[in-house]
Amino acid sequence: MARLAAIVGALAKAFRRDQKSFQSVIGNNFFFITAYMLRAAGAFVYVIIGLVLLFPMSTDPLRKIPASRLALWPLETRERWLLRAVSPWINPVTWVLAAVSLWTAHSGIKIGLWGLGAGIFATGFLLSSLLSQDARPSQSMWRGVPNFPGPLNQLIRKNLREMLSTLDLYCALLLSLTATIYRATRRPLPPEAWLAITVLVVLAFSSYAQCLFGLDGEGGLSRYRLLPVRGWQILAAKDAAFLLITVLLTLPLAPFAGAGAALVALALGHAPAVIQPRRQIRWRFSTGASLILGFGQAILMAMAASAIFFSGAWILLPCTAACALSTWWYGRRLEQGFATE
Amino acid sequence: MISCRNLTRRFGEFTAVDGLTLDVGAGAICAFLGPNGAGKSTTLKMLTGLLAPSSGEVHVCGLDVRERPREVKRQIGVLPEDLGLFDDLTVEEHLLLTGRIYGLERDETRSRAGQLLRVLSLEDGRHTFAASCSHGMRKKTAFAMALMPNPRVLFLDEPFEAIDPVTSKIMRDLLEAGARRGLTIFFTSHILSVVESIAAQLVMISKGKIVWNSPAGELPQSLEQHYFDLVESPAVEELEWLGWPRS
Repeated sequence: MARLAAIVGALAKAFRRDQKSFQSVIGNNFFFITAYMLRAAGAFVYVIIGLVLLFPMSTDPLRKIPASRLALWPLETRERWLLRAVSPWINPVTWVLAAVSLWTAHSGIKIGLWGLGAGIFATGFLLSSLLSQDARPSQSMWRGVPNFPGPLNQLIRKNLREMLSTLDLYCALLLSLTATIYRATRRPLPPEAWLAITVLVVLAFSSYAQCLFGLDGEGGLSRYRLLPVRGWQILAAKDAAFLLITVLLTLPLAPFAGAGAALVALALGHAPAVIQPRRQIRWRFSTGASLILGFGQAILMAMAASAIFFSGAWILLPCTAACALSTWWYGRRLEQGFATE
Repeated sequence: MISCRNLTRRFGEFTAVDGLTLDVGAGAICAFLGPNGAGKSTTLKMLTGLLAPSSGEVHVCGLDVRERPREVKRQIGVLPEDLGLFDDLTVEEHLLLTGRIYGLERDETRSRAGQLLRVLSLEDGRHTFAASCSHGMRKKTAFAMALMPNPRVLFLDEPFEAIDPVTSKIMRDLLEAGARRGLTIFFTSHILSVVESIAAQLVMISKGKIVWNSPAGELPQSLEQHYFDLVESPAVEELEWLGWPRS
């Protein structure tokens, strides 16, 4: 029993540390802007954030121990079974679901929502325990990312794959899909509503523009220093991936307004991405540099999108110029950083 | 081909590399030896422009590394300590990226990448993402990336560690063949038998200072003994509890 207690104790510690990384949502533009501006009307947005968060939170705590290490430990069969039975209860989501199920049984309501939550939890839990961390199933799916012309092709593909492993993108995707389905059902909405939804979609992953190097890791950053390319080219490859995702997500909504908002997000995001690079964690929300910058980014994004929506696509020109200038300037800063480290 | 004068790097109060002066000629294979923490990787980072020196000068291919970093990068191939791989690119994609970034044509890039994958036994894992590769595969990928642009100077940080004996032999043969054609190689290693077999110049460093620098043939005794005498002698402490029966 002492062995089991030691393992469960270590497991709980490791799991708690991992769960702390979900706090990254607090520094995310989408979360705090919607919390401030939408308040009660933002319930739909919170449901989306909750659903997106629930999946990675539903992992099996036992996977924190490498399978080879677990197999090597001299545990009795009984102890292994006990560990299997006890470890799910380290995850607080298990307790929440158990409590809600008790409450549901007594009140007889909300069974649908509970079922949805429990279903997502079960899927996340089973997937995480069936597929070892080393297998990285997501990465094999990203192999199909298309090729692009030019020498920066592989860098753009890599940047797209990095974006595909952040929760921001899936939040934006859910929003975009919901709005697209709504539009497809031909329900009447004022044209301005599409502008608002477009801004929300871009806002959902705008924090990523502030931490463009967050998922490159130490190895990736030292490779950037070794490659004989200009700083602006490295940033341009990042921007290309960001803009491509924006265009795809806002295509059924207001694509020009979306592109303008994305260009502004990038123009303002380069500074913190280059000067204060922050490491990000996969399958979590991106964390922005500061609330003030996040608000500024959101306001200017909304202004640019509105200007394009109401005055015409030519407003994209100054947006593109601002983004290009920022790419060039912070590309130089990037090179200076490489030289002085 | 590689020249540094009074190269020094300080991290706060700690001096990692202290007044290092060194020359490596064209076509030489120079082994840079020393215990962990002696300053080998720091030196290699300064020689390749990954780290700015606190003072001193570095010239590679006649170019000042600080003044003309991009020109230097075009002339060198580097296997860095952390391997410098992107988790989100496959083994093959790393080679394709390198070829295109160094200005090779698409066909030439594909041809060289195919050859390197074959020679270094990476063909089966060519579509594996770097994050999912074994350490040996990652090292071979980074080594292949260093060779890909056909550099004038190769800087390799512990290239033979975690590599299987066959690939290690292939790598040694490749390096020796390259050196015969004028490629300059500067590498660090802890495997003295490999060093003895290929290095033409031996440099030993201890606590940030060079303690030996000579052609390989001028060693007064075996490399291992000389290393123990000059750099660090092994100290074995008895672990009384180690061994059976358990106490």
